[in-house]
Amino acid sequence: MTDKAIVCACEDVSVHDIEEAIARGFGDIESLKRYTGLGTGPCQGKSCESGAMRICAARGAVPPEAQVPFRARPPFAPTAMAQYAGLELPARDLRLAAGGLKPTWGGGPHPLQPRERLPERVDVVIIGGGIMGLALAWNLAGAGAQRVLVLERGYLCEGASGRNGGGVRAQWTTPLLIELAKESIDFMGHFAQELGINVWLRKGGYLFLAHDEETVRRIEYGAELQKRYGLPTRVITPGEAGEIVPQLDTSRFVAASWNPEDGVVFPWPFLWGYADGARKRGAQVETFTRVTGIDVGFGRVLGVQTDRGRVTADRVVIACGAWSPTVARLAGVTLPNVPYRHEIVSSEPLKPFLGPLVSMLGTGLYFSQSMRGEIVGGMGDPLEEPGLNQSSSLRFMTRYSRALTELLPQVGKVKLLRQWAGCYDVTPDHSPVLGETPGVTGLLQMSGFVGHGFMMAPAVGRRMALWMGGAQDEIFDRYNLRRFAEGRLIQETFIIG
Amino acid sequence: MDREDHDTIRISLDGEAIDARPGDTIAAALLRARITTFTRSIKYHRPRGPFCLQGTCGQCLMRVDGVPSRLACKVRAEEGMICERQNGPLGVDKDLFRAADFVFADGLDHHHLLTGSRVLGRVAMEIARRLAGLGELPSQAQGPIPAELRTARLVVIGAGPAGLAAARAAGNALVLEKESAAADPAFASELMLGAECVGLYTNDTPLPGNALLAVRTASRLLGIVAERVVVATGGASQPLPFPGCDRPGVYAARGLLGLPMRVGEKLVVVGDGEELIDCSSALERRGYVIESVLDIQKVQPVRALGNPVRALDTSLGERIRCDAVAIALPPAPLHELASSVGAHAHWVGRLHGFAVQVDADGRTAVPWLFAAGRVAGLDAISSGEAAGRAAAK
Repeated sequence: MTDKAIVCACEDVSVHDIEEAIARGFGDIESLKRYTGLGTGPCQGKSCESGAMRICAARGAVPPEAQVPFRARPPFAPTAMAQYAGLELPARDLRLAAGGLKPTWGGGPHPLQPRERLPERVDVVIIGGGIMGLALAWNLAGAGAQRVLVLERGYLCEGASGRNGGGVRAQWTTPLLIELAKESIDFMGHFAQELGINVWLRKGGYLFLAHDEETVRRIEYGAELQKRYGLPTRVITPGEAGEIVPQLDTSRFVAASWNPEDGVVFPWPFLWGYADGARKRGAQVETFTRVTGIDVGFGRVLGVQTDRGRVTADRVVIACGAWSPTVARLAGVTLPNVPYRHEIVSSEPLKPFLGPLVSMLGTGLYFSQSMRGEIVGGMGDPLEEPGLNQSSSLRFMTRYSRALTELLPQVGKVKLLRQWAGCYDVTPDHSPVLGETPGVTGLLQMSGFVGHGFMMAPAVGRRMALWMGGAQDEIFDRYNLRRFAEGRLIQETFIIG
Repeated sequence: MDREDHDTIRISLDGEAIDARPGDTIAAALLRARITTFTRSIKYHRPRGPFCLQGTCGQCLMRVDGVPSRLACKVRAEEGMICERQNGPLGVDKDLFRAADFVFADGLDHHHLLTGSRVLGRVAMEIARRLAGLGELPSQAQGPIPAELRTARLVVIGAGPAGLAAARAAGNALVLEKESAAADPAFASELMLGAECVGLYTNDTPLPGNALLAVRTASRLLGIVAERVVVATGGASQPLPFPGCDRPGVYAARGLLGLPMRVGEKLVVVGDGEELIDCSSALERRGYVIESVLDIQKVQPVRALGNPVRALDTSLGERIRCDAVAIALPPAPLHELASSVGAHAHWVGRLHGFAVQVDADGRTAVPWLFAAGRVAGLDAISSGEAAGRAAAK
C-alpha cells in the first residue's frame, strides 16, 4: 500500500488531490466537492467535510467568512428505496408557497467574490455561466478578437447545468432538436481532445417505455421522424427491452423506443472544460458576481450593472436558464418562460448492471447508472407549482422510490444517498427562445430549453457564435421571442422528468 | 478480554465460518476473529477496515444476506448470517486491482486521464466503468414496506445529554434516538429508540405543522409532521489525514470504547484537546497499554505502517510499535439536518467542525428549529434546557 494521506475514504480523495484542486481554482467547498468527489460517497461527508475544510483554511484557499459547509443533502443516512416507497404522503397543500434555499453563507455578496474590478467595456456580456453561456463564450472567443465576459452569480455548476442527470439523446420529435442533439453528442465524443477534460460520454442508449396505446403512437411517430434524420431509433417489444435491461418488470409497459446511440455524460467537467477553454482563448469568466441591472437606451442595450460595478457592451446575452425571465425583466423584457423545480436522487454506488437511460413516458420517471455506479434518476410531479425552488422534498423521494421499485423490483433494498433539485426553464411550446429581442437591439436570448439545454449546448453555442458573427441561420428567426406574440408555436412532445 | 461462557452464534464471511457472541455486531465478531480487512477502497483498492465503529464513516460496508453495502459496525450478528466482502475481485485479501494503488502512486486524476486520444479515452472509460461501484445489486426483490405518518408537537432529535435536557425542560416531546439505548429515559416524554432522522424538510403536506421528518427505523420509514424541532444530534468521530491513516487498525477512540472487547494490547492515541485526554484515560481503564499519546498541537503522526497497523512514525522521528492506533479528535458537530433546512453553520476550529448558529434560546435562523449541545458547539445541559424551554413556549 502506498503512502497516500486519505481525507475522504469513501471516494479515495487524498490531501494531494485537494491541494491540486485548490491550485486549479476549485478552492471553494462546493467546487472542491464536485472536482474531487469528496463527500459524495456512502458516509455523505460526515467524515471528510471537516478534514477538507481544515486543509482549505490552512492553505489560505478560503477566507474565514467563506468557511461554510457544503450544501447538506438528505438523506443523512443511506435509506432503502423500499422504505421510502411505503410512505404515502397526502397530496400537498397547493396554497403553500414553494420554499427556496437560503445561501449557506448567510446572504449579501458572496464571501468568495473576486476583489478585482471588472473591465469597463467589452463587446459581449454573457449573463449566466451555465453550459449555454460557457459554450457560447468558448465559440465566440475562438471566432475572433471579441472581448467576451461571462458573469455567473455562484460557483460554476450551481445552476441546472450542474444539477441534471447527464442524459444526452437525439430522440426528439422536432427536427431542430434532433439536429442540435446529434451534433452535440458527436462533439461530446471528442470533447476531451478539444478541451482537455473527460466528460465520460457513455453510449448506453436511451430506452423510452410506453405504457398505453396513445404513447405507443407517439413513439412510433418519433421513431419514424428520427429514422428520416439518420438515427437508428426503433420501436421494440417489452421482451426485447427486457433483454437490454433484464431487471425490468416488462408487464408495466407495452412497447419501447430504443436508440443505442444515445447516452449519459458526467455534467460537471463539461462546464469546467468550456470555462477553462474560453479563458485560454481570452474570454473572461467571473464567478460569484451578480447582475443587478441591464442598461437600455434608444431601443438598444448599453451594458449591465453588477455587484462589482458597471460594464458597457454592445451585446448582452441572457443565458440564465430558469432565471432568464427574472434577468430579462431587468431590461423591461417579458419572457414567456416559467421555472419549475425538478428533483433528482442518487443511490449508493453499485457494480455496473444498467446500460441505458430508461424513461417511462407519461409518469416522467427516468433513471440511469452513472460512471460511478450510482442509480441517478428523477421524476416530474404534476402537482409542482411554478417557482425558482431548488429545495428538496420527501414527497419526491416517496414517489420516485415507488415508481422505480415497481418497474425494477430488484432495487427495493438499494439505498438512496443524496437528493437535490434544479429548475427546468419551461416555454409554452417546449422549444427554446433564441436570437434578438424585439424592441431591444443587442439583447440576445439563449434560453427555454426545458431541462434539456445541457445536451444541446455544444451545437447551440457554435451556431449562435457564427450567427453573432454575421452568418445566416434561420433558427434564430424561427425560435425568436416574436413567435409567442405571433402564435407560431413549435411543439416538442418528448419531455421527460 | 471477556472470558465468560456465552452461546456462540455462527456467521459466515466469504464462505468461512466465524464465531460471534450474542450482542456482537458483525464488525465485533470479525475483529474478534482477527479479521481487519473488511473491504477494498473504491478507487485504489486499498485494504479498508472499520474506523468509526459508530455507523457514520462508511469504511466497513459489506454485503449481508444478499443486501449490498451494509454497515458491519451496526448490524448485529445473527445465526446463519451470510457476510461477503465487496470490491475485491478474486477475494478481498488478494484483490488483483490493488495494483491501482501503485500504478497511481501520486493519485489518479480521472478528469485528465488519457484526454489526448479518443481511442485511449474510450478504453479508459470502459475500464473505469467496470471497476466502478461497490456492491452488486440485491439478490432479492423488495416491494414497498408500509410506513406510518403521524404528527407531534415537539420532536427532539437525539437522546444524548443535550436532547434529554431539552425534552425534560420542554415537559412533553417525542424524542428520537438512533441508537438502541438512551442514557436516561426516565421523563414524561415519548422515546423512540433505533429511530434515525434521515431527512428534515419544510412541511408541504396538508397536515398542520412546520416540519416534516423522515425517520428510519430498522424495519420501515416513519413520517412525522411537527410544530417544532430541537436538533441535538451531537457529533461524529473524525479521521485525521496523514499517510496511511486509512489502513486497517486505525480506529476512532470512541469506537474502540464501544466494542465489547479489545482489538489488541498496545495502542497509540492521537488527538486534540479534552477528547484526547478523556479517551486516553478511558482506553487505559479498558485495559489497553497506552504506548504513546500524541497531541497534534505538538507532534504530528507522519506515517502508519503495516496491515493491520503495527507502528506509527511521528514528526519527532520516533517509530512507536503498537497493535492499533486510536484517533481522538473532537467529534465534529452533525449539523447536516439543521443546515439542510436553512440553519446557518459556521466553522469552529476548537470543534474541528461546523457548528449550528443559535441564539441564547437555542433558536436557529429557522423559526421552528432549535439546536442544543455539541451540534451547536455548546454545553449539553444548559443549552439543552434553554432550547427545550424556548421550543415548548
